[in-house]
Amino acid sequence: MATLTLDRPTAATPRPERDARKRRSIIGTIVLYVVLIGAAAVIMLPFFWMVTSSLKTNNQVFTVPIQWFPDPVVWSNYVDIWAKSDMSTWLRNTLILSVAVTFLQVFTGSFAAYGFSKMRFPGRDVLFLAYIGTIAVPWQAYMIPQFILMSKFGLSNTLWAIIALQAFGAFGVFLMKQYYDSIPEELSEAARIDGLSEYSIWRRIVLPLSGPAVATLTLLTFVNTWNDYLGPLIYLRDRDLWTIQIGLKTFVSQYNAEYALIMTGSVLSVLPIAIIFMLGQRYFVQGIATAGLKG
Amino acid sequence: MKRTIMMSAAAVAAATLVLAGCSSGTDNDSGGDGEVTGEVTITLAGWSLSTTPEFQILADAFHEQNPNITVEVLEYDATEYDTQMIADLAAGTAPDMYVQKNLKNFVTYQDGGQLLDVSSVAAELGDDVDGVEAYTVDDVTYAIPYRQDAWYLYYNKDLFDAAGVAHPDGSWTWDDYATAAEDLAAGLSAAGSDATGTYQHGWQSVVQGFANAQADGADLLSGEWEYLVPYYERAVALQDAGAQVDFGTLTTNSLTYQSQFGTQLAAMMPMGSWYVATLLAQQASGEADTFNWGFAPAPQLDDSTTEEPVTFADPTGIGINPAVDDDVAAAAMEFLTFVGSEEAASALAEIGITPAITNDVVTETFFGIEGVPTDELSQFTFANHDVRPENPVDVNTVVLQNILGDAHTAIMSGSVSPADGIAEAMDRAAAELG
Amino acid sequence: MATTVAPAPTRVPRQRPPGSRLKLRNTFIGWTFILPNFIGFAVLTLVPVVILFYMAFTSWNVFGSADWVGLENFRDLISDRTFHTALLNTGYYALLHIPLTLAVSLGLALLLNTKLRGVAFFRTVAFFPYITSIVAIAVVWNMLFSPESGPVNQFLMALGIDNPPGWTTSTTWAMPAVALVSTWRDMGYYMLLFLAGLQAIPGELYEAARVDGANKIQRFWNVTIPSLRPTTFFVTVMLTIGSFKVFDLILVMTDGGPGTATLVLSQYIYRKGFEEQQFGYASAVAIVLFLICITVTVVQFLVNKRRNR
Repeated sequence: MATLTLDRPTAATPRPERDARKRRSIIGTIVLYVVLIGAAAVIMLPFFWMVTSSLKTNNQVFTVPIQWFPDPVVWSNYVDIWAKSDMSTWLRNTLILSVAVTFLQVFTGSFAAYGFSKMRFPGRDVLFLAYIGTIAVPWQAYMIPQFILMSKFGLSNTLWAIIALQAFGAFGVFLMKQYYDSIPEELSEAARIDGLSEYSIWRRIVLPLSGPAVATLTLLTFVNTWNDYLGPLIYLRDRDLWTIQIGLKTFVSQYNAEYALIMTGSVLSVLPIAIIFMLGQRYFVQGIATAGLKG
Repeated sequence: MKRTIMMSAAAVAAATLVLAGCSSGTDNDSGGDGEVTGEVTITLAGWSLSTTPEFQILADAFHEQNPNITVEVLEYDATEYDTQMIADLAAGTAPDMYVQKNLKNFVTYQDGGQLLDVSSVAAELGDDVDGVEAYTVDDVTYAIPYRQDAWYLYYNKDLFDAAGVAHPDGSWTWDDYATAAEDLAAGLSAAGSDATGTYQHGWQSVVQGFANAQADGADLLSGEWEYLVPYYERAVALQDAGAQVDFGTLTTNSLTYQSQFGTQLAAMMPMGSWYVATLLAQQASGEADTFNWGFAPAPQLDDSTTEEPVTFADPTGIGINPAVDDDVAAAAMEFLTFVGSEEAASALAEIGITPAITNDVVTETFFGIEGVPTDELSQFTFANHDVRPENPVDVNTVVLQNILGDAHTAIMSGSVSPADGIAEAMDRAAAELG
Repeated sequence: MATTVAPAPTRVPRQRPPGSRLKLRNTFIGWTFILPNFIGFAVLTLVPVVILFYMAFTSWNVFGSADWVGLENFRDLISDRTFHTALLNTGYYALLHIPLTLAVSLGLALLLNTKLRGVAFFRTVAFFPYITSIVAIAVVWNMLFSPESGPVNQFLMALGIDNPPGWTTSTTWAMPAVALVSTWRDMGYYMLLFLAGLQAIPGELYEAARVDGANKIQRFWNVTIPSLRPTTFFVTVMLTIGSFKVFDLILVMTDGGPGTATLVLSQYIYRKGFEEQQFGYASAVAIVLFLICITVTVVQFLVNKRRNR
């Protein structure tokens, strides 16, 4: 490590000073960790409450003052939820939807983004604004026309409805386009001179360079589809088609809501996402642009 | 070029929409008087089926009487019921019959031509069916009620005894209630209990429902709401005196009325009749404590209405989608006739629901349920009351209720005084009503 | 190692022989890229949105026909006091939420864009609020903000503040409280976007700046910020639109209360449409919301474009 720093022109500092700096940086690291762990605890507080609530009986969930630790600990919610509900069906449906939507959104989104970012043709900017413009319209305002349209296509009350609804969103196009914009133009220009077609440039140069962006889009699309509530609620009516978020709502009846079970289900539904996030975030480490320029 | 494509696409889509609207709008008044022959399956929209068995009970009881007609109950969401139903009706994918879950949205369906005329069914119903007039507009009935809730005053006899306060005697006015709440608070804290005197849930109905039903000259639709002020002053005074959890604590801690009364954190609670079944179920499952309780008539404005206490609640009825075929409509009409019958009422009373008919047979069935308090006052409360609908049927009802809902949170949180809050609401109402 | 340092990403104009055939070819290829997404997008989103624009000029009530009323809905908006309240509240929320979230999420991204041990864990933690059930969020934050028994106010009183705010139960403090919670909820989301953007900055740029003797702060202002511009543009646009469209968090935290202190435009659209059955009017409100968002976006777009030159 020390030899590496020696190569750098700035590393020509005398030794004692460097030791002091090293000590300072150790203290700094410790302080940083303390701050981070403290912040993490505060940030996780609502999640912690979710977990403890899932270990309570219903009438213990809301109390004054709040009860942070369940007494007694009720494990049965985690057993009951499988018996009281179609949790496995819901999880399966949600998984199918999230995977399909994520795949389509990432694929069509990154493909279209190339057209918007690296190609030049008349009307491009206006079309792009139309894409962004639809993001600015609240969904509940055009939900009914959209529902009527989907019903005419025979899509409502099928999983296809949600796939169609979520997969072609403007969000992915926008995100990928902005990322492509930051990839140096010289790269694709050089490839063009080498005689590569636009499709090959996208496939062989631009896409491999956008790992973090693809990872971001994948994660966010997956999470949004997984947690979407209103869309499935409007379009999926058959019990066999329900996603986990609608399923959780069955624990809310007119006169009583089974909050302990709702929280149990919420904990179970967050876990897969947390795992995917833990795995997916490692794509945010290397500076990819460097690697690309070297090759 | 692109612009023209978009425009024409929009025009096509708009045309489709309008056509869709027309086709579902013109297909009404289809017969339904004919006899049903052969096997028919009709669909009914309900919600939270596993915890709300009433729809299936009606369907099963009806099928037993009419083996050729099967009623299939479809599940909708309990909180987004109307959103889902509006979307389904607009797209033409709605079930044959649907429950009018919230009376305040009934006018939407009725005014929008989404309910079949069921006056012929209504004409054959007995006189003891409550709530039919709520579904009648210009002498045409659009839905048949099967349940008619009413607000009562629930009380915990054990906590009353611990505090040394006399039980309700059925003649309470709101002032008696307030005094009792304060006495209870004092008595309970002297007895070492941290239960409050009463628990008024955060809904606007808890204050406004009673005021609209009881106060002199009360009329929600008039937009003149001075009569609400004394009701609010009383509610605010109760929380200031510590006889009731204050609104800020209630909302920020998301308190549920089920746990407040069910786990003995409050000695009294004004609440709807549906809570009888909920409390029984929670006591059976161990979620609620087991204690002696009863229900009394809701407190009154003065003692002139002790004989037949005035209370409120909306009826729940079932209507028919006008887009159905004639034979389905005929079958649905038969189902609605059954829904308004004594057999249906008894079947519902068996599971603790307050049906639209409350005669002696139904009362007897209801108090035959295990765990229901059978004291005289509870029986009197169940059988005798003048229940007014909370939401008058009018296009402006929802708008006005929304304004009053805003006023409710502003006043109860102490942001404005009752008088100022109501005055502000009246201003807004005047602007809306134009 | 740093022999192949590329110059900063500046746009080099393409040298192509001018010709309409080439232009046509380019347009064609461009469209083939866009088409797979555009077909789905146009049919399922754009068409309903265009219908919405039409409905804003009608008295549509969801059932039956929609009668053309011209500008009547918009004229009514001018004198609609509740709409004014919702508009002001939304603007106030955006004003609080946008800068705060921008700063916090960029800070988090910079902090967690290191090879620190356990960085995976902390990134996941920062993202957790976004995936935590919204009901749990509302419950816990409301409880933390509880005026009498809440930890926030107990802490403030321990600091010697005698009259701590009533937070979600006070008309003055409800909006700041909600904006704070939504920043807490969104920060991981935007952090992720910034992280992706930070990865796109070639390490050589930092190297070059270091050689030029730039310190950490100078490197931040002269390398990080300019290179991050496309991401910042994306984040600001999404954040702006998201703030003006804020809905679900407010619904579960305060439901617009107390009074109308936190009533926002999206909620008003829902009330007018699904509760009061004035879909035409609700569409008109949606168009106002759309116009605000699109104006802000176009301004950002133009500013961004000019800076790129």
